[in-house]
Amino acid sequence: MMDTAVDTTATRTFIEVSEVWAPQDGVLRLAGGNYGHRTEFEAISGRESFGKGEGLPGKAWAEGKPIVLKDFDGSYFKRTEAAKEAGLKSAVAVPVFDGADLKAVLVVLCSDGEGRTGAIEVWAEHDGLMMLDDGYYGAAKHFEWVSQHTHFPRGQGLPGGVWASQTPVLMRDLGSGYRFIRADSAGRAGLTTGLGLPVPGPDGKACVLTLLSARGTPIARRFEVWDARAAKVGSKGGAELIDGICEREGPLWTDDTQQEPRRTSAWQGVIGRVLGTGAPVAEKCAPGIGPGYASVVALPIHRDGAIAHIVAWYC
Amino acid sequence: MSWTDIGSLDEIPVRGARRVKTRAGCIALFRTDEDEVFATSATCAHRGGPLDEGIVHGRKVTCPLHNWVYSLESGEAQGADEGSIATYPVRIDAGRVLLDLSSLEAHAAA
Amino acid sequence: MKRKLVVIGSGMASGRALEHLLEADPDGWDVTLFNAEPRGNYNRIMLSPVLSGEKSYAEIVTHDDDWYATRGITCRFGEKVVSIDRQAKTVTGENGTVEYDKLMFATGSSPFIIPCPGHDLPGVIAYRDLDDTNAMIEASGKPGGRAVVIGGGLLGLEAAAGLRLRGMEVTVLHLAGHLMERQLDPAAGYLLQKDLESRGITVLTQASTKEITGKDGAEMVRLEDGTELPADLVVMAVGIRPQVQLAKDTGLAVGKGIHVDDQMITSDEDILAVGECIEHQGAIFGLVAPLYDQAKVAAATLLDEEAAFKQRQLSTKLKVTGVDLFSAGDFAEGEGREDIVYRDPARGIYKRLVIEEERLIGAVMYGDTADGNWFFGLIKDGTDISEMRETLIFGPAYQGGGTQADPLAAVAALPDDAEICGCNGVCKGQIVKAIEGGATSLGDVKAQTKASASCGTCTGLVEQVLAATLGDDFKMPEAQPICGCTDLSHEDVRRLIKARELKSQPAVWQELGWTTPNGCHTCRPAVNFYLLADWPLEYKDDPQSRFVNERNHANIQKDGTYSVMPRMWGGMTDANELRAIADAADKYGATVKVTGGQRIDLLGVKKEDLPLIWGDLNAAGMVSGHAYTKGLRTVKTCVGKDWCRFGTQDSTGLGIKLEKRLWGSWTPHKVKLGVSGCPRNCAEATCKDVGIVCVDSGYQIGVGGAAGMDVKEVERLVDVRTEEEAIEWVVAFVQLYREHAKYLDRPYKWLAKVGLDWVQEVLADATERAALMERFDLSQSVYQKDPWAERATPETRRQYEPMADLTLEAAE
Repeated sequence: MMDTAVDTTATRTFIEVSEVWAPQDGVLRLAGGNYGHRTEFEAISGRESFGKGEGLPGKAWAEGKPIVLKDFDGSYFKRTEAAKEAGLKSAVAVPVFDGADLKAVLVVLCSDGEGRTGAIEVWAEHDGLMMLDDGYYGAAKHFEWVSQHTHFPRGQGLPGGVWASQTPVLMRDLGSGYRFIRADSAGRAGLTTGLGLPVPGPDGKACVLTLLSARGTPIARRFEVWDARAAKVGSKGGAELIDGICEREGPLWTDDTQQEPRRTSAWQGVIGRVLGTGAPVAEKCAPGIGPGYASVVALPIHRDGAIAHIVAWYC
Repeated sequence: MSWTDIGSLDEIPVRGARRVKTRAGCIALFRTDEDEVFATSATCAHRGGPLDEGIVHGRKVTCPLHNWVYSLESGEAQGADEGSIATYPVRIDAGRVLLDLSSLEAHAAA
Repeated sequence: MKRKLVVIGSGMASGRALEHLLEADPDGWDVTLFNAEPRGNYNRIMLSPVLSGEKSYAEIVTHDDDWYATRGITCRFGEKVVSIDRQAKTVTGENGTVEYDKLMFATGSSPFIIPCPGHDLPGVIAYRDLDDTNAMIEASGKPGGRAVVIGGGLLGLEAAAGLRLRGMEVTVLHLAGHLMERQLDPAAGYLLQKDLESRGITVLTQASTKEITGKDGAEMVRLEDGTELPADLVVMAVGIRPQVQLAKDTGLAVGKGIHVDDQMITSDEDILAVGECIEHQGAIFGLVAPLYDQAKVAAATLLDEEAAFKQRQLSTKLKVTGVDLFSAGDFAEGEGREDIVYRDPARGIYKRLVIEEERLIGAVMYGDTADGNWFFGLIKDGTDISEMRETLIFGPAYQGGGTQADPLAAVAALPDDAEICGCNGVCKGQIVKAIEGGATSLGDVKAQTKASASCGTCTGLVEQVLAATLGDDFKMPEAQPICGCTDLSHEDVRRLIKARELKSQPAVWQELGWTTPNGCHTCRPAVNFYLLADWPLEYKDDPQSRFVNERNHANIQKDGTYSVMPRMWGGMTDANELRAIADAADKYGATVKVTGGQRIDLLGVKKEDLPLIWGDLNAAGMVSGHAYTKGLRTVKTCVGKDWCRFGTQDSTGLGIKLEKRLWGSWTPHKVKLGVSGCPRNCAEATCKDVGIVCVDSGYQIGVGGAAGMDVKEVERLVDVRTEEEAIEWVVAFVQLYREHAKYLDRPYKWLAKVGLDWVQEVLADATERAALMERFDLSQSVYQKDPWAERATPETRRQYEPMADLTLEAAE
């Protein structure tokens, strides 16, 4: 039969489009992105530019924190028509600051539709607690209600843990085996793993961004967390892979009694490019290079004038 | 302190040196890339090579005979070599190089 | 015949032992494996991340059911061993008896439980295995649950952080005055405490547990000082003890642990023991590294191979996300031990080194663990650190290393159209395209693009493009950097100077990320040469980047005087020249020596006399012989057709023509030529850099000879018919050498790297030869001039004299 076999294991990922907007002469312009097959939307985006405060990327820049936009209609979003044509329904913009200096804004766009379960949340500190600033939940309606009524003190839960340690954390266990109310609804929504990362703002305070994956529509097929602090890798720079999971390769971490953890240096591959430029990367992967997925997003987290961590996910 | 005018800074090549003869032996006057001047003994502690003929890099000089490297600031041999050369106070005043002779007398007497 | 092995305990030690054993001897053993825990081998060290949710149990399983099944191991998990009969050599478990030829104890250790009242209430657990971990996870499921962790050592703190992440209110109780008092001093212990408190964990030091109370389960922990802490969960993390009851009952020698010798054999020669249950030379073990060593030795012993277990230095890390703590070796205080401490309270950094008898024996790092492994290496090797003592605490970067620039940054900055391979005209974009198309190695890139397929000097750069594109999947081979100022090799720098059109020294230091302001005595002379060879009109040779001989245009001798050698073209002279030399010898008190290069050397000339002697020799029509440069030295000849009955061509004439064409040019290293009039080779041409042997039919040009520390015969480059062609080939060869060789490589060394074939291929092309000659002559238009004539001036005289002569000052 000449039918093209449908690969049921290659499930669609929650994020459909990723873009990087970089400041150039005072406005944000498209510096890279992965649009899948949405060539029209890509072309239109390539012609756009956003001043500070303008559109979604500009708003993230102006407010100095991640912004969630759940409905393009009648909003400040500038590409509404094109987005709807492309089947995209919501977006999250994550600014990448090095001190007060904006390096770029990462924008991820999602579509809605049946069974698209996943969550992207922004948590911010209020009175010593992490409270939900906003979030996009796809089809997980129950979870969204619960999350809006939850707060986390320092060190507790994924948002509290990331906030206290200022380190990205890849939680394997969100909703299995225990009865904590938020985790319970996470379990019911089918959310299994969560990546939490600090997003420093220009004023030095950090929000926490969480990406929660469901089995049916994972945020990504492969996650990597790299540690680039001098306190870890020394003065010669580079970064060390401290955690990760991959659909194909399984766990990516190693305990030092087994083997040396993976290291990369500045300008070596995608992670190296992020180390060298200090800016995020969102692009299609060339076939045969890297772990063998179609696209990659790599996001640096700056601290005290240098890159502290890099998180990367591959779809 | 006893400062003696030795000559114009221009007479010392950049990243190079000139020699000064004294009763206490020969002194090398070095001029770095940044127009700093250092004065040290001109004789290598190893086998007596002429340090004023060495290659000057950063604030260091390499002896042309056997490649011993000295810090022009401290006079200490660098790397695995052990040894040091005397250093002397020197300053630039309005483009002239001034050497402190009193330290020389001290060395001569020693 | 399979031997029967019974193993009691499927922990990390026995698991590793089985791996080694069955890999070496897959068919020799029938293995039965007992485990009190109802599961196989998993990475117990990683239980803390499972507790916190940062790892899943599935990820830490080391040996799954498949692993055991493939090896035919009979697994009796969840079954306790009841007794052992050493006479009958049988082991009896709860479900039956099995025979053994060899028995291995790996019963591990059990957690120490404080025997205070209430220690056996439900809700009071130790932290040892997966069941404990699951119990803790279960307990954390209740919103607002409170946990008290007794024990502020590594394990207790990891448990506290994990429970906190899971959502509990956590208090840590520690007996000593500060946390981890064995590794950290009070200041560092305080830093750690602050870190944990910033996660919302409460830490009480000098806290002694009096009792645990509760009705149906733990509800409260009461301290000796009366403090009461409500608790739904109490975790005991106060230490471990080897599990030796079974071994004792079996009649084995037992002290703190089961006694074993260096081969891991107990007091019964058919019974071995490994892991936390053993005692070796008075020591017991709680970290995994020695366990793995023991496992290797135990397997070797079972295989009847020689092996001995040696205790060694250990290191540990605290596994709490965001806390960096590393400790290694022995950091107890003691007589004759010295501490070096480094503190940076603002950044929360603490480092402590313990030194005994000039050796590092212990190291603790908090907040900055980057140098941990380096210090650990020094501890393990027992290196004598007395030389480094002053700067030791600052780590390896400070021991004369300096900071390194990003080695790949230079290549990353190259635009796509930058030429990487000059021989085949391959640019960066083409190489990247090939890599994206599937090329993953140098060989692949070579095959697809031809880059690096000819002379090979761009190999280093191609490898860097591979690393920049593929990331850490590509392992860079070790290339020799020029010196400590850079990670780049000579070939890289030569290539980059061309590709990026770098035309000055500052451009090189800046664009290629040099770590020093203006290089050093190794790299600056090389860079100076590469720049003048590639850009003869735009870059001028810098005397301050040349060795003393080349700067002063005379050879320095060991007493600081100089040797002066005028040119004798082709080894021919006349009475006038000889008279001038003789007069100079008298006037300047020089010693006279005839050299192997067919000329005369005047030795012992004072530096300040050089401009004068040059002036005198110039007056007689003589110029510098360049006996001191990296340039053309001599062209030796034999008398040839002019005089000799065997001479086939005018070897002397050709020699002189070549010398007049080539002299004055800077080259990567000295160049010596020879022209013999016939194959009798009286000019010894066949061991020269370029050696011509004249024959009836023309000239045989050979290259790559050597007659110094290496002795080598030339290889035939080409045979030509006319003198003109001979000169053409030689000049083109010299220019090719100038443009490609590594500084300080003689032509024979360069030929060994690029291959004579490639050189012949290039020079065989007449247009290429012409182009090379043109470039050589262009360079000569700048550099072919007599340095003596330029310097036989009063100006130079002044410079060669001391700047001041203070000995002439009248004694005051």
